[in-house]
Amino acid sequence: MVFSFIVIPLLVAAFLPIIGKFSKKLVPDVLTNAALAFLLFNSILLVKPIFNQGTIVQNVNWFGEKVNLQVALDGFNLFMLFTISLVSLCISLFSIDYLEHYGHKANFYALLLVMIAGMNGLVLVPDLFSIYLFLEVAAVASYALVAFGLGYDELEASFKYLMLSVVASAFALLGITILFGMTGSLSFQAVAQGLQDLNARYVVGVCVAFFIMGFGLKAALVPFHAWLPDAHPSAPAPISAMLSGLLIKVSGVYALFRIIYSVIGMTPVLSQVLMALGTISMVVAALLALGQKDVKRMLAYSSISQVGYIVLGLALGTPLGIAGGLFHLFNHAVAKGLLFLNSGSIQHITGTRNLDELGGLGKRVPITAGTNLVGALSIAGVPPLAGFWSKLIIVIALIQAKQFGYALVAILASILTLWYYLLIQRKAFFGKISEKWLHIKEAPFWMSAANVILALICIFVGIFFTPVFKTWISPAAEALAKGIQQVLMWGI
Amino acid sequence: MVIQILLLCGLIIFSGLAILFKDLLKAALSLAVASLFLGIIFFRLNAPYAGVFEISVVAGLITVLFILTIALTKKEGEVEEAKLAKVVFPLFFILFLIIDGLVMKSLLQKVPSLPSGPEAGTFGEVLWKQRTFDLVAQIGVIFAGVLAVLALFRKKEDDKDE
Repeated sequence: MVFSFIVIPLLVAAFLPIIGKFSKKLVPDVLTNAALAFLLFNSILLVKPIFNQGTIVQNVNWFGEKVNLQVALDGFNLFMLFTISLVSLCISLFSIDYLEHYGHKANFYALLLVMIAGMNGLVLVPDLFSIYLFLEVAAVASYALVAFGLGYDELEASFKYLMLSVVASAFALLGITILFGMTGSLSFQAVAQGLQDLNARYVVGVCVAFFIMGFGLKAALVPFHAWLPDAHPSAPAPISAMLSGLLIKVSGVYALFRIIYSVIGMTPVLSQVLMALGTISMVVAALLALGQKDVKRMLAYSSISQVGYIVLGLALGTPLGIAGGLFHLFNHAVAKGLLFLNSGSIQHITGTRNLDELGGLGKRVPITAGTNLVGALSIAGVPPLAGFWSKLIIVIALIQAKQFGYALVAILASILTLWYYLLIQRKAFFGKISEKWLHIKEAPFWMSAANVILALICIFVGIFFTPVFKTWISPAAEALAKGIQQVLMWGI
Repeated sequence: MVIQILLLCGLIIFSGLAILFKDLLKAALSLAVASLFLGIIFFRLNAPYAGVFEISVVAGLITVLFILTIALTKKEGEVEEAKLAKVVFPLFFILFLIIDGLVMKSLLQKVPSLPSGPEAGTFGEVLWKQRTFDLVAQIGVIFAGVLAVLALFRKKEDDKDE
């Protein structure tokens, strides 16, 4: 049942604060992880129907009364649901041990589940205004989660994030308003049909500019990225992983490209603008990452850079480019989730994230060091790990489309990426161990287990690249590449 | 047209004052006046439901809540605002007004539109039968807000327990 992706996290979140009064740890841990495992299982079950039918449109009646609760599922949003469920389950497993020193697990999990419900809702609704509302559901929960530690840095970062996010939402809403004013409708299908009947190139251009500003801010594309390097490092590690791994992609990249491909239609000019933005993000953020001493800040800049790759692939508009972009979205969600969780492990073990203070940890904490290396190499695009294939597909797609300049920049930025990730590895895990770290111990069981699962996914997807690509990426890329035609066929 | 422009100017000025005032009470009252202007604009644009909600909830209820909260807080260490913010915000605000004025002036005259049928039924019916998903999402937003308050004010409760 497709609605369970929204209803189950909301329902569990509703009961968690009450349950938290009676059971502070065990029941919230079990309930949250069971709910997320169910969602992951559900998304896997939906693969076959999507493979056979292409699109599933579902309606829900309210005790026999017809109401407008309609969701449309195609390859693209199923792929997003799977990514969200998989990464958030690992993050929630990591939180079992990590949250011990924060306390108030029930409240934390409740907010996390509301954020997941918001992201799932955003992915499932075929309506512009509902997208905006679910964007806000996820955003409001994320402001609170960034500030969850209640320290000065956390509160300041959360406030900065809130302010810029509100500006982003306002721009997105402005674009939606203009489209509604022109077409008199908000559903994807009606707006797409309406825009085809109208000759309104310039006004639609202004709308797209608003969407790029709004969703570009959410996705932290350069030059809209200023909030991310503050917000993501300040949050607790599982939330940094959620934000960098999932939220920027769902509320930024997914929303932007769903509207552009499925409602407005991609044009060559728009493609060039987005490709340029993606490339600038890729290079500028990679250069900025090089100078960072805080592990999480470096990872945050890396997220901006990798979102640049995703945007470059998706904006190219060829089927291969879209597939590469989506594949990199998945690989980055997994690997960046892993790296942020690893940074949480490092902080948990040593009490610091400053690379200058670390060194030689690999001998004492081999699991953290090993999983960190896998995540880093995957994002940097080293074979045979998952990230290598997605970057390779993006580069091949660029070469096929005769965009040689972009292809060259993508390869060079990849070298930069490898450079700063090896810097983390060398400064934190290799070399001579400092005396103060001689007695440290490996991260607790669930933290290590979550890291190992994510690292194994990076390796598994890299080795079994073909079946994964065929099952998840191809249907998603096909749905997006069909563009407006796909939406007009939904039969709503 | 003149009244419309005056109302918009009032809305912008009082919204700006709500941010610039250091006294929280004055800021809350400015926000209420800005909402009042917005409510009137809604009425004049044939959106009576939006107008009623804006004036009753935002200008009325929320202002009362703000004033009550301010009355309950005690004056403690003054918070110094960064000097840069004082310069950057007004500059950004003026720049935004100029760009907004230029873009919207030419845009609003050119927006073509399809004929759209009026939404059938009462306000409640439209909300329940046509915008049902929005209600689900709004429940989610309220939920997120309540949980955020529970999470962010927890330390105080802990202190009390101790």
